[in-house]
Amino acid sequence: MSGRRTGQVLLMLAGLIAWAVQFTVIYGVTSTLCGRGWADATLFGFGIVPATIVSATLITFAATAVAVIWSIKSHRQNAKRPAATTDGFMSHVAILINGLSLVVILWHGISALILPACA
Amino acid sequence: MQSALDPAGGDASRIYWLTMTMTVGGILIFLSVTSLLLYAIFAPPERRAWLGSRRTIIYGGLAFPIITLSALLPYGLIVMRDSDVPKAGALPIEVIGEQYWWRVRYPADGDRVAFSTANEIIVPVGRPIAVSVTAADVIHSFWIPNFGGKIDMIPGRINRLNFTAERPGIYRGVCAEFCGDQHARMAFDVIALEPAAFETWRTEQAKPAQDPEVPLLARGRELFRAGGCGSCHAVRGTEANGQFGPDLTHVGSRRTIGAGQFPNNIGTLAGWIANTQHIKPGVRMPSYGSLTGEDLRALAGYLESLR
Ligand code: HEC
Ligand SMILES: [Cu+2]
Repeated sequence: MSGRRTGQVLLMLAGLIAWAVQFTVIYGVTSTLCGRGWADATLFGFGIVPATIVSATLITFAATAVAVIWSIKSHRQNAKRPAATTDGFMSHVAILINGLSLVVILWHGISALILPACA
Repeated sequence: MQSALDPAGGDASRIYWLTMTMTVGGILIFLSVTSLLLYAIFAPPERRAWLGSRRTIIYGGLAFPIITLSALLPYGLIVMRDSDVPKAGALPIEVIGEQYWWRVRYPADGDRVAFSTANEIIVPVGRPIAVSVTAADVIHSFWIPNFGGKIDMIPGRINRLNFTAERPGIYRGVCAEFCGDQHARMAFDVIALEPAAFETWRTEQAKPAQDPEVPLLARGRELFRAGGCGSCHAVRGTEANGQFGPDLTHVGSRRTIGAGQFPNNIGTLAGWIANTQHIKPGVRMPSYGSLTGEDLRALAGYLESLR
C-alpha cells in the first residue's frame, strides 16, 4: 500500500478513532475514579469526572472537525481529476464517516455528562 | 382502576410525558413520511422531482433525524436520571410478595413501633416513600401504575422503589409477574392520606387488638382460637401469632380482603372464610365450609370488629 493510500484510509477512519479515544478516556477515568471512591474529587474547583468528559469530548470533537475539513478538501481536489474514481469514493466516504463521528462524539459526551457517573 | 395514564407522582408523570412525546411525535413523523411516500408514488413526475433531490435527502434524511434524536436523547436520559432517586427522610416500607397476597411491614421509625398489615399500603401525601420489596416463595412483581415503573420481587433479594404521592387518593397496585394460579387475583391498594390522617392511622395500627365486649363477638374470638386460625394469622394482643398468612390485628380497618378481591364487610368476610377455595382456588388458606351460619356470623363479626 502506498503512503498516499495509507493516508486516505487513516483519514476515513479518523472520526472513528477519535470516538474510540473519547470512549476510552471517559470510561477509563470515570470507572477508575468510581472504583477508588474518588468520584467527587475536584481539581481547581471543577469535578474531575465532568471535566474529563467535557475536555475529552471537546478535544476529540475538534480533531474530528479537522478531519471533516480535510476530507472535504481532498474531495474537492479529487473532483478536479476526472479519472480517479477510487480516490473520489474514498474521500466521499471519509466526509460521511467523519461527519457522523462528530454527531456520535457529541451524543456520547452528552449522555456521559447527564447520567450519574458511578451508577 | 389502576392507570399509567393518570400519574399521581413525580416519576409517573415524567414517564407519562415521555410516553406522550414519543407517541405523538412518532405518529406525526409516521403520517408525514407516509404522505410523502404516497406523493412520491402518485404525484406527476415533474411535481415530485424535488423529493429525490440531494437537498431533500440532506435535510430530511440526515439533518432532521439528527436534530430530533439530539433532542430526545438528553430528554430521555434526564427522565432516567431523575426517576426513582432515593430521597433523604423517606418513609421506609417493606412489601413481601406471597402467593397470592402482599405482606406490608412498617419498620420502627423513631419512637413509633413496627407493625405489619396486608394488601394495603397507606402513605402520607408529599413525603417520599422508599419501598423495599422481596418475595417469600416465587417471583412476583410490584406495580402501582399511577406512581411509576414496576419492580420485581425476587426471593432472597431486596429491590427498592422510590416514589412520592402528590395527591390524596386510592390507587390500585397489581402483581405484574405470573406467580401461580391466582396471580390475577393479587392486587392491593395504595391509599395516600394527608400527613395528620396518616399519623393517626399509624398510631391505631400499632395498637394491639381490642377485646370484644359483645357476647357474639367474644364467641367469634373463641371460634377463631378453636378453629386454629391463629396458627397462620396473628392478632396482636391475643395468643394468635401465626406468621404464615396476613396479620389480622386490624383487618376490620382494611378496605378490601383477599388481596383486593372484595370490599371488606361482614358478608364478604363470612363468604371468604367459608369459601376461600372457591373464590381463589389454590389459595394457601383452607375453606371453612362446615361452620354453621351462626358461627360464621360470629367469626366474621369478630374480624370486622378488629379495627
Ligand atoms: C393454613 C394457613 C391458614 C389458616 C389455618 C387460616 N388462614 Fe386465613 N389466610 C391465609 C392466607 C395465606 C391468606 C391470604 C390469602 C390470599 O389472599 O391470597 C389468608 C387470608 C385471610 C383473610 C383475608 C385477609 C386480608 O386482609 O385479605 C381472612 C379474613 C382470614 N384469612 C381469616 C381466617 C380465619 C377466620 C381462619 C380460621 C377459621 C383462617 N383465616 C385460617 C392462611 C390461613
Ligand atoms: Cu404475584
